[in-house]
Amino acid sequence: MDRPDEKRFRILVCIDGSDECYRGLRYAARLGGGVDADICLLFVRPVDQGLRSGGLEARVVRENMLEWGLELPGTKHLMKGQEILTELGLMSDDWAQQTVHVDKQGDPLGDNSIVYTSSSGKKVTLKLEVAPDIVGGILEEAEGGGYDLLIIGASERWQTGIIKTIWDPAVAQKVVARAHCSVIVARELEQGRGHLICTDGTENAIDIARKDAILASRCNCPISLITVVPETVPEAEGADILLRTRQAIEEEGPEVVDSLLKIGEPVEEIVRAGADYSVIVIGRSNKRRKWWLFETDIAYQVLERAENSVMIMK
Amino acid sequence: MEHDTDGTLLRTARAALVTGQGALNKGWRGLFTIPFRAWLTYLIARRWLLIAAVVGAIILHLPLPDGLTPEGMIVLAMSVMATILFVTEPVPLPTVALLLIVGEVLLLGRSSSDVARSLMNDSVLFIMGSLMIAVAVVKQKLDRRLAFLIVRFTGTRTANVCMGITLVSGVLASFVGEHTVAAMMLPVGVTLIRLTSDDPAQVRRLAAVLLFSISYGASIAGVGTPSGGARNAIMIGYWHQFFYDADSPETWKYAVDYLRWMMFAYPLFLIQVPFVTAVLFFTFKPKQKNIARAVVRLRAQLADQGSMKVSDWSTILIFAVILMLWIFASDGIGLGIVAILGAAAFLVVGLVGWEEINNGVNWGVVLLYAAVISLGIQMKETGAALWIAESFLALLQPLGADHGFGLWAAVMALTTAVTNTMSNGAAVAVLGPIVLKLAVVAGEDPLVLGFLTAMSSAFAYLTVVGTPACTIVYASGYLRTTDFLKAGWKMVIVSTIITLFAAAMYWPLLL
Repeated sequence: MDRPDEKRFRILVCIDGSDECYRGLRYAARLGGGVDADICLLFVRPVDQGLRSGGLEARVVRENMLEWGLELPGTKHLMKGQEILTELGLMSDDWAQQTVHVDKQGDPLGDNSIVYTSSSGKKVTLKLEVAPDIVGGILEEAEGGGYDLLIIGASERWQTGIIKTIWDPAVAQKVVARAHCSVIVARELEQGRGHLICTDGTENAIDIARKDAILASRCNCPISLITVVPETVPEAEGADILLRTRQAIEEEGPEVVDSLLKIGEPVEEIVRAGADYSVIVIGRSNKRRKWWLFETDIAYQVLERAENSVMIMK
Repeated sequence: MEHDTDGTLLRTARAALVTGQGALNKGWRGLFTIPFRAWLTYLIARRWLLIAAVVGAIILHLPLPDGLTPEGMIVLAMSVMATILFVTEPVPLPTVALLLIVGEVLLLGRSSSDVARSLMNDSVLFIMGSLMIAVAVVKQKLDRRLAFLIVRFTGTRTANVCMGITLVSGVLASFVGEHTVAAMMLPVGVTLIRLTSDDPAQVRRLAAVLLFSISYGASIAGVGTPSGGARNAIMIGYWHQFFYDADSPETWKYAVDYLRWMMFAYPLFLIQVPFVTAVLFFTFKPKQKNIARAVVRLRAQLADQGSMKVSDWSTILIFAVILMLWIFASDGIGLGIVAILGAAAFLVVGLVGWEEINNGVNWGVVLLYAAVISLGIQMKETGAALWIAESFLALLQPLGADHGFGLWAAVMALTTAVTNTMSNGAAVAVLGPIVLKLAVVAGEDPLVLGFLTAMSSAFAYLTVVGTPACTIVYASGYLRTTDFLKAGWKMVIVSTIITLFAAAMYWPLLL
């Protein structure tokens, strides 16, 4: 595990070869460029299970592939990620290169990573990790590496409904539920349409809005605010929430380009308004049920229903 | 990123339990002060293990049904628990083998020496030997010569290349097992894809037809000969164990030898070859109808490998001898001994080192098959298999599927469903004793139902984990899990119809 540089913003991008993960990577590059962040591209491979390959160890297949000069899928996906970062000018050929190998899980390949370091100390890491399961591998890296932000593509099999969510959630759902850092779930992630930050006027929400606004402004992403109040609550209260949040953000320097006051059901209004933005940013409520397995807070519902990318700030 | 198991929860649970270490330091009373969340997380992570244990306990406490012995009830409970663990994998699968071995001693009251003896028989020796041969064959790098052979004879039309790959993969898989062939042919398929285009989006459909040609070609052929897969050796072992009596000439037909198996199964593989190509083209409709550029470049890459070396000829010679022994001598000395002899020959000649074999074979799988076969034999000995067979037949009776064609179709449907959720060898090991008893109760020929079970255990076209060949080609990264469903259901229908047709029209000529 790399020793995290406490001062530098660190972004972990989960790579699985899908278009969505590379869109997420481009977004990370934009954020990373703005805040001069370290970026780690992570591909997690589950530990080989001998019965699935009929008792023939998967390493025999891998060795044969390598002898034909063919890269393994994880390596191929990571190399493509590296090419994208080079194209975007985020890294160059003159960076120092260090290869790291760690034996793990009794696996013949173990964890392998290449760390590229610029003269200013900025790092881009390509990491091929082995873990008993994919979510475990992602979370282990996210926590051990001290990342501030994790970007993961939304799965095609994103589950809805409480039973399916608990019993057989998709990988991204599990990561969102368990990660200790902020997570962007990338869906059709388009750059340049700005961050829509949700606020309910609580101290936690304002703090989260301030943090995201700083991040967004460093990569020149326009910032908008939204609050939704029920019909029973006077509009003035909503306007006050927006004003307080805006003031808190602008005290730090970033400019808020738009403030949206909506009346109605919060999840529905946020999802509808958020469709016009690159990312909906929402904080995870501090008021969570004791039985945390049953995720019921608004952030999770927005994540479930939105058709574009959502960032859950923690 | 899919294929997640419950590791996350386990991890979280372990972390939570570590957090509760302070509580544990208080002694046994500390167990009660570990946070509820930690216990809950741990229980959810291990839910299938707990469900299996609860289901087993419930079965053991049910009133004993008519016709089932108390020992049979215990074996039934163990089989149900093992099946749940096979399908859901809450623990590493060799652990299931360990639990079965312990269960046979503690629950069934068998002596440990008896259990140990039942773990090793000819079928297990065959599985062990053929895995060692598989590693030795893959290490010889004959795949380049095979690739050259395919592209030399098939031309450049995509359909012809796919059919060539299916045929060559199938012929090889029928003798050396589908995992060996998938390991050898995967680089050929991936190289053809790469030489066509570096952009995965451009070659997605082409990749599907080429890679499925390997896996489905190997799958349909895996039942072609006894050495094509563990399931075949397991079924041969069951026939021998359940029905063969050296003193009774009418039971000698149950000692199925290599050639007799081939006569039943090989034509079915050959008939299915063109159907595989047709189904794949109909399903994926690749844009590239001709891959001349890739074929020419591959030919150029392979042309400079020179003439056959001594090691190449030695491999072919050893394998030819193994094949001859399987065909002409396995009846007397057993398929397993021939496989072990073959593995020894590769080591003696020096074509492969022991370390290579040791690293290439997953010995846990051998242990797993041994334990499941041992349990299968207990199913027969305790009467559990007979009771399940009678109960299954009673269920089929109202549907008119308790005999003949209906029963065949029901057995095939059951096996296809089971084999798509676990390894085909394990499926045959679990279902074999039941199906063979079913044949006896229904007055059907155990050979026919046994062959139908072994054949349909190869119809695991629907899932990535269904067959080793599917798992291996999926690892290339070019396929999606949904691709298996798209093509798989069509293959299931085609294979079922062809097999049922053979059972009705062709096999009676051999019986």
